Amino acid sequence: MSAVAPHLLLDGIDEPGLNTLPVYERRGGYEVMKDALRQPQEGIIEELKQSGLRGRGGAGFPLGMKASFIPAGGMDKYLVCNADESEPGTFKDREIMQKCPHRLIEGMIIASFAVNANRGFIFIRGEYMHQADVLEAAVEEAKAAGYLGDDILGSGHNFELWVHRGAGAYICGEETGLLDSLEGKRGNPRLKPPFPANQGLYQGPTLLNNVETLSTIPVILGMGGEEYAKLGVERSSGTKLISISGHVQRPGNYEIELGMTSRDIIEGLAGGTTPGHKVKFWFPGGSSSPVLLEEDLDLPYDFDSMAKAGSMLGSGAIIVCDDTTSPVDIALKLATFYRHESCGKCTPCREGTNWTLRMMERIQAGLATPMDLDRLQSVQQQIMGNCLCVLGDAMAMPVSSLVNKFRGEFEAHLERVRASEDFMLGIDPAGSGHVETPIRALA
Amino acid sequence: MPRPQRTPITFTIDGRDVIAPEGTMLADAAKVGDVEIPVFCYEPKLGAPVGACRMCLVEVEGIPKLQTACSTPVKDGMVVNTTAPKVKAAQESVLEFLLVNHPLDCPVCDKGGECPLQDISYGWGRGLSRVAEPKRHFTKPLELSPLIAIDRERCILCYRCVRFSQEVSEDHQLVFLERGADTYVGTFDSHPYVAPFSGNIIELCPVGALTSRPYRFRARPWDIEGGGTVCTLCPGQCNVTHTVRDERVLRTLSRQNDGVDDGWLCDKGRFSYQAASAAERLGSPLVRGKDGQLAPASWDDALDRAAELLRASGDAAVGLAGGRTLNEEGFLLQRLLRDQLGSPHLESRPAPGPSRELIAALNAPAAQATVPDLEYAHHVLLIDIEPVEAAPILELRLRKGARRLNTQLSVASARPSALDPRATHSIRYAPGGGEAFLKALAAALSDGDVATPAAAAGLEVDQITALAATLTAAGEDRVILYGDTLLQGAGADEAARALLRVAESLAITDGNDGSGLLGIPASTNGRGLREVGVLPDAGPGLRAVATPGRDLPGLVEGLGDGSLTGLLAVGVDPIADLQGRAAWRTALGTASVVAVSSFLTEGVAAYADVVFPQEAPAEQEGTLTHPDGRVQRARPAIRRPDGIRAGWWVLAQLAARLGDRTALHTSGMAFAEVADDVPFLAGLTLDEIGGKGVRWPETAAAANWPAAKISLDAQSEATVIPPANGLLRLARASSPWRNPEVAASPALRFLVPDANARLAPADAERLGIGEGDQVALTVDETQISVTAHLDSRVPAGTVVAQAGVPGGGADELPLGLVEVRGA
Repeated sequence: MSAVAPHLLLDGIDEPGLNTLPVYERRGGYEVMKDALRQPQEGIIEELKQSGLRGRGGAGFPLGMKASFIPAGGMDKYLVCNADESEPGTFKDREIMQKCPHRLIEGMIIASFAVNANRGFIFIRGEYMHQADVLEAAVEEAKAAGYLGDDILGSGHNFELWVHRGAGAYICGEETGLLDSLEGKRGNPRLKPPFPANQGLYQGPTLLNNVETLSTIPVILGMGGEEYAKLGVERSSGTKLISISGHVQRPGNYEIELGMTSRDIIEGLAGGTTPGHKVKFWFPGGSSSPVLLEEDLDLPYDFDSMAKAGSMLGSGAIIVCDDTTSPVDIALKLATFYRHESCGKCTPCREGTNWTLRMMERIQAGLATPMDLDRLQSVQQQIMGNCLCVLGDAMAMPVSSLVNKFRGEFEAHLERVRASEDFMLGIDPAGSGHVETPIRALA
Repeated sequence: MPRPQRTPITFTIDGRDVIAPEGTMLADAAKVGDVEIPVFCYEPKLGAPVGACRMCLVEVEGIPKLQTACSTPVKDGMVVNTTAPKVKAAQESVLEFLLVNHPLDCPVCDKGGECPLQDISYGWGRGLSRVAEPKRHFTKPLELSPLIAIDRERCILCYRCVRFSQEVSEDHQLVFLERGADTYVGTFDSHPYVAPFSGNIIELCPVGALTSRPYRFRARPWDIEGGGTVCTLCPGQCNVTHTVRDERVLRTLSRQNDGVDDGWLCDKGRFSYQAASAAERLGSPLVRGKDGQLAPASWDDALDRAAELLRASGDAAVGLAGGRTLNEEGFLLQRLLRDQLGSPHLESRPAPGPSRELIAALNAPAAQATVPDLEYAHHVLLIDIEPVEAAPILELRLRKGARRLNTQLSVASARPSALDPRATHSIRYAPGGGEAFLKALAAALSDGDVATPAAAAGLEVDQITALAATLTAAGEDRVILYGDTLLQGAGADEAARALLRVAESLAITDGNDGSGLLGIPASTNGRGLREVGVLPDAGPGLRAVATPGRDLPGLVEGLGDGSLTGLLAVGVDPIADLQGRAAWRTALGTASVVAVSSFLTEGVAAYADVVFPQEAPAEQEGTLTHPDGRVQRARPAIRRPDGIRAGWWVLAQLAARLGDRTALHTSGMAFAEVADDVPFLAGLTLDEIGGKGVRWPETAAAANWPAAKISLDAQSEATVIPPANGLLRLARASSPWRNPEVAASPALRFLVPDANARLAPADAERLGIGEGDQVALTVDETQISVTAHLDSRVPAGTVVAQAGVPGGGADELPLGLVEVRGA
């Protein structure tokens, strides 16, 4: 494996005007699409299968396999791009959409041709206003160039593409919640099965993929699936965009070849923590992944290694926390976020995230005992695996990993707060209005 | 379309082999093996499962994650475990979560004692709470509507009520607001949830979050008994269970009968039990004294006086039945008139209808569609019927078919329908153009001349041919659902023949299951009354009679000119319920009138000489016949108050005083007489009818249905709707809330419609009328004053005036051309 990853998605990403059609085409854009539209559709899916590309949105489901699940037949089929990039710590799709929207559109045209979908939607999170504007302009350009619409370049393939702005809910990044939202309903996840490949948008077969996944399609077809599969490691082929944030000197998006060691990423690419500090724990795949410790830094950064270490690669968002960070604060922050974003449809997530937040507030305020930590852990166990979608687990996993790995610090925090002068005098330490007097009296 | 066929399969649950139909959801299939899987959000009536509450998690061998039993269909060889430690832990977890915010105020909660959350907590919960955090708070209870109270603290957000509103009644009013743990059920801008079927959400709620306001704090489950019967307030005849405490009905619940109601009720059926204890209700017989005033009298005096009046009228007496009149009462009425008084003048319809032979052809067992056929048909054509007004429950059935099975609907009527948005074709013929429409459709289906009748109905030829093409192309299961108003008046026979020609062209009258005709009569037991012989030209079993009686216009005329002198009206007030109000008012001035009625309605109060108080619906005992031929039993849930006697008894007593020698001691004996005399009910017993009824067209006795050889050829050109000459044509909107029981129920009174008329914006502009204006509608000499509403769904040239309004409304106006003037 070469030390420096080849730049595939970030190739020339900072070239001025890459978001416009002429510059993109000058760099060879849409050539792959023109070629693909002349090929048999099965051939494209076969190339994607050979590439071994696993979905870049978080779940890591192989793209080629997903595409092959779309049934043949004359019904209305849809292609949906999940651009609701909402996972805390993740900002890779934003860069692609903002700087190279045409590669995404090119990937979508190829994907729609491969699965015979005639209508496509890019569901972009509402907060990405600038990126949505850029995308809309790019879609117009592509339309004007005849790349979108009826009978694209004489291939007989029709494909219309819309950019749809979300209304600001994390849950709409869950694929079925996204579909409900796109249909104009409350964005709640649906019961699976049926999976979107069989019954998705408007009950039609739907191929639903992340921005990065779809943008990679032209890259794969350009170099050949087999060639692409040579990048990376077994079962984690290719390159991956990662977003590094937190206590590092050079946060940002990097394209790496999967299998690079985590230390090379965090300490090499991102420059490590500020001098004098060291990594205390890090989230390898967005805020919903269980935390790993400094000793895990030598693990190769790929899907299977992260899973083996008890965490996950997720969307490839690494959040680094140095030794100044209190795990109690982080757990409280996580609980606050996920409680706010739970859709409320299923019981364990709705009530579990809420209860966890209430307990975390008590712990933060020192109004708890070590027994409450056991209860907190038990509640996380009760959430995991019992929910309709993965949002409940997305809170339970990291919170429970924090308490597991830093139990001593949680207990020390309780001791410290309870011994503080403010606490003795009855002054609410965190200023959190949620602590009710009866409990205060109990403590 | 074919009904689902389920082959039995064997699966294993908790170590037991169980045989259940393939594809049944595990939560249901488990019951076959005596295993209960707790559920909250799962309710098969609401459609596809949502898997939201997570209460039903079970272990299925071969699948690593726990599965929701509500959404997992059973397969052959499936091995299910509902007691594994993993499952137990999940059940305890979900219950603990549900109780995090639940107030546990069971001792003061209406649901306490019959609450799924309570039961499941006892059965599957941990028994201890670990929650030290404060619960969420809401103001409570709040008025969700005048009928329903909502306590959001108790709500476990199971989705049932919201799904009902969105996917069953499709009123789209209830929604979830906010998100996550802050979610709550509400309506847009806190508007009251008023809809014809809103009360069902009370029954659906698995906790005490949605409670009935009229029932709040009236009883606890250990105080009450259930009395199963049939709702007798409309031809829908839903099956109900009355909740009884101390001989009073305090609540009405649905009693699921898939052949009739699918387990739903409309708000009229659910809340009008209050009318039984209304102050307005008659409590004893009344006799008009020498002073001209109605005064309470003893039963003997009243019966003697009534017998005396009827004897005096003899063969100049008229018998009318309607409203909630049961088969036994109708049968005894016609026997009394025909045998004791020698009078043939009987009628049970609000307007003249088709002849005996045509009734026989329209309702023949081979041509009869059933209620479930509405759901499974390929195409249902609705003609001149607004289901929510005629028999509300049918609207839910039609919506269910359209939503879940893609059953196509088409609507042909004179005024807008609530089902228009679901309809493939919505055809608006001119009011009174039903006959011409049928003739046009019959012609289109048999390559006849469409243009003439279409023009007569005020329609384009294309509209008719498009409908005919759709009907022809639809699958073989086609149902025509029509209202009795289609076959009324002078053109009734012509319209009936045209309807039969349409049905014959579509081949739906020749006995194939799943298709046919379904006519909805105007009164609850309209079909039963016809079949037991309350018709001018037919005796029991639609037998021909030697001398037919006069038709309705003839009766009014006769009573007016003195050639007819007496009237026995059972459950019907001619002035309020029959067409031609003004004529009836004059005609009844001189006649002697004996009435059986619950309330002092206009006619009863003004003209009756003797009034017998009628039983309330929950007190009635007897049988009634559903429009699709299902004979059902009304069984008393409560005792009659002192002073009130059964309708059959009153008629039997009158007959005895007039010389009848049949001794009838029970309602059952009266039914036996009916079954003896009506050939197609031969051999039917009350035991057989039981709790769910028997469709007689499916019994062997159906072979005794009078087959009539009749010509269906048109005998005249379609009646041409005359030009309006700048006036508007009157269409009457009925209302689900027009029964006197609704007005007498305090909880429902707010639903009684006000006098209004809807007209097309273009007409309104031409006439200089604005939204909300007070306007006068005049037909001939009659004038009413109403509030005008502009409604773009009303076709230009038509004005839709509200009927069933206290003190008049559109019922006062004869059908015809209306002059609309600003007041």
